Amino acid sequence: MRAVLEVRDVAKYFGGVKALDGVSLEVPETGLVGLIGPNGSGKTTLFNVVTGFYVPDKGEVLLRESDDLVRIDGLNPNEVFKKGVVRTFQIPRLFNSLTVLENLLVTPLGQRGESLVRALLRGSWSGQERELARKAVELLKMFDMLHYANSKVSELSVAHIKMLETIRGLMTPAKLYLLDEPAAGVDYSTARKLFTYVRKLRDERGLTFLVIEHRLEILMEYVDYVYVLHNGKLLSEGKPQEVVSDPKVVEAYIGA
Amino acid sequence: MIDVVGFVISWLTIFGIYSILSLSLNLESGTAGVTNFGKVVFYGAGAYIAATLTTYLTLILNGVDVTETPPYDVRGIVLLGELGSRNPLMSLGLLVLSLVVAFVIAGALGYLLSYPIIRVGPAFVGFTLLSFGELMRVFLQHYEPVGGNKGLMAIPTPFGWVAESRVREVAYLGLVMGVLATTYVVIHRLVNSPLGRTLRAVRDDEVAALCLGKHVPKIKAKVLFVGSGFAGVAGVLLAYYLTSVNPNMFVPAVTFNVWAMIILGGCGNLKGSLVGAAVVTFVDRVLTFVTPYLGVTVISPDYLRWVIVGLLIVVVLIVNPRGLLPEEPIKTPALEVVSEELGGGSG
Amino acid sequence: MVLEYQVMINTVQYAFFYLVFSIPLTLSYRTTKVINFAHANLITYGAYTAIFLHGVAGLNIMSLATVVAFLVTGSIAVLNNVLVFTPLQRKGSPPSIVMIASMGLWIVYKYLLYIATDIANYYTSRNFMSYGRITYLDIPRGVGPSQALVAGLAIALITVVSLYVLLERTKIGRAMRAVADNPLLAEISGIPRTLVVNLTWFVCGGIVGAGGVVWTSFSGATTPEVGDSMILQVFTVSFVGGLISLLRTGVGAVLIAAVENVGIALLNTYFGVPVSFKPFLTFTTLLAILIAFPPLGAGGGLPYRFLRRGRGSD
Repeated sequence: MRAVLEVRDVAKYFGGVKALDGVSLEVPETGLVGLIGPNGSGKTTLFNVVTGFYVPDKGEVLLRESDDLVRIDGLNPNEVFKKGVVRTFQIPRLFNSLTVLENLLVTPLGQRGESLVRALLRGSWSGQERELARKAVELLKMFDMLHYANSKVSELSVAHIKMLETIRGLMTPAKLYLLDEPAAGVDYSTARKLFTYVRKLRDERGLTFLVIEHRLEILMEYVDYVYVLHNGKLLSEGKPQEVVSDPKVVEAYIGA
Repeated sequence: MIDVVGFVISWLTIFGIYSILSLSLNLESGTAGVTNFGKVVFYGAGAYIAATLTTYLTLILNGVDVTETPPYDVRGIVLLGELGSRNPLMSLGLLVLSLVVAFVIAGALGYLLSYPIIRVGPAFVGFTLLSFGELMRVFLQHYEPVGGNKGLMAIPTPFGWVAESRVREVAYLGLVMGVLATTYVVIHRLVNSPLGRTLRAVRDDEVAALCLGKHVPKIKAKVLFVGSGFAGVAGVLLAYYLTSVNPNMFVPAVTFNVWAMIILGGCGNLKGSLVGAAVVTFVDRVLTFVTPYLGVTVISPDYLRWVIVGLLIVVVLIVNPRGLLPEEPIKTPALEVVSEELGGGSG
Repeated sequence: MVLEYQVMINTVQYAFFYLVFSIPLTLSYRTTKVINFAHANLITYGAYTAIFLHGVAGLNIMSLATVVAFLVTGSIAVLNNVLVFTPLQRKGSPPSIVMIASMGLWIVYKYLLYIATDIANYYTSRNFMSYGRITYLDIPRGVGPSQALVAGLAIALITVVSLYVLLERTKIGRAMRAVADNPLLAEISGIPRTLVVNLTWFVCGGIVGAGGVVWTSFSGATTPEVGDSMILQVFTVSFVGGLISLLRTGVGAVLIAAVENVGIALLNTYFGVPVSFKPFLTFTTLLAILIAFPPLGAGGGLPYRFLRRGRGSD
């Protein structure tokens, strides 16, 4: 399987702290890959490097573009998005005064009505708008959230907020979805439901995911490959069963 | 006997001018979250553009040598009074020219000013624009060609050729209302479009918008262009209404007058901006009308008025930060699609 | 030569003022995360406390005026916090809303003072709209430096030393720093946050007011606009410190005072630029700072800077 994302020997220092210290990993096409590690091990920093919030001090981040891998480190976050990388946040960052539907409709690129002049000419964008709305409706149906379409984000439960952030990313066809603890703060069964959806999207639509998750017992059931970070370094990698039984991993988790 | 009709006309004219300002500030600050504390810059720029263009061109087109008889000079002012009301075509032509030039220049100024500030937080944006307004005032006070401290006077009005003064006032009110209607339609369309949605998204969470591919600085610069352009247009209307401009009309407090309007009416709600402008300008007009009857008072109504404006901002923000009319969802065809689905699903 | 001497004196004098006005701004923002535009009023109210004491009560004792002004402006700052900032923050208003509210306060205080000067004028027939320099009894005068320079040096020294002792050597100071670094953690670890925040406002407000008193011994004509006329410089100085670092704020005070006074002296001598264009130099410095070293993340900004080097830039 070809790699969609390749992180090569990436390092990021904050003053004297080595948040990432030479990390290399790969996410294959249509992969559902987990990224785990104790608190402060550098998981979110890695997401921030990949999505352009930090420029790595060392190393490269490459993304597949047809047959080539091109560097995306050093791009601005909005440019990384345009290259096809979508992320969610550990603490959800939704548009709180917008409705659920509006939140979804913000995502798609190339909306005609976003131009200053065309926004004035309703006819020029209303067709596209309907099309996008139908897509949003379809996604909301899939996640059983259609009835919240016109609710404001501030009226939603934590579980729905987490789910909405994931759905928002799905409004655009991306090469890679980075999910930062998509099930944090939600109960066990909702977390499983969410991962089931993610798995389904991978299986049915061939989407690619890299997922950070704290609750290993849930994550391990769904992902097909796992990377373990510890103190900014890659501690272990492999299939879920292999990683779980790796003494180094056990020690890192108990030690932390 | 109080002149009720005169009061209503003057109130509606001032209301129209301030509504253009409040609508454009609502687009910038209410919808897009750009804390523009320098609204007065673009308002003042528009007023000075109209005043300068109209006075100079009126003189030049009538064959007066402005190097010898500049419009800020006493002779210039007298000449303007004579020449200004002669040619309807010239008066109206200068109006159109002023409106267009003011929109473009004020808009461009907003766009350029956005460069240093749009990447930093709202505090810096607000503060920089506020300071720029004060600097512009200092500059105008010392810039002789626009009259320095005295400013420009006897600006020929678009309807100066109309003999009857009441008809003139009504015609001008009609013009102001026409411009207001245009402004409302344009800004209403911008807000209720995918662009408006993106603006609200940027206001709510810049980081998330950035991660969804939105070029946040560019979007804000665009908004400042449009908002500042309309503020320039409002300035043009003010200059013709008062027929004079001077630097001390454009103090920072004017900006907060407009802020009080959008906060009272409801940030993000355009109708609210109109309501806010109506209330604030009404109080303002009443005070102006009543003042002469009060005689000399220890507490000046003018100061009291600003205290009221300031208190209005603070009290509304604490008691009901959403204002009289809260923000409404964005109206696009997407709503129809969803309601069809919801309706179809349940019944 | 005379010009150069006066320019240097002015630079030093203004550096003292900017220091005394800006350090509290940085400290109050750092601890409370409120951008207080009503800061300008504190300067004005400090100055007018001294002016009313002089003009209405006939007192010209600076030490007394300083203490009274400290209490007055300190209380105003606490009042702002208790009545406006804290209720807004409790409601979960974003920082920009709190900032806009502080703008509203600014206008209220500004025009309340105008009303107060009118009333004072009505009863004393003195002109409070432009008040002449006050000569104080308790500050050495006659030979050598002016009263304002002596008082400016004293107030700057007292501010720096007492703030240093307060922040570095006392429990309260440590609590203030803890609240600044992480309000939530500070609260969990048992620091009375409300008290610390109010205390910070009191101290910051008070220092600014005391600085305002010194202004009355310097300026030949103090007006109700005195605070507003300095707000550009004061905020720019704090921005040099990124609204975080007190040390860099101090450096900023010296920098801005020098840029303004030396810069305008040069421009005036060689190009005939009017002295009232002084703020343009500060504004240019402000823009340069915002472009070259944008204070990322401060004052509610994106904690991220757009890069202009870029493969496939947009």
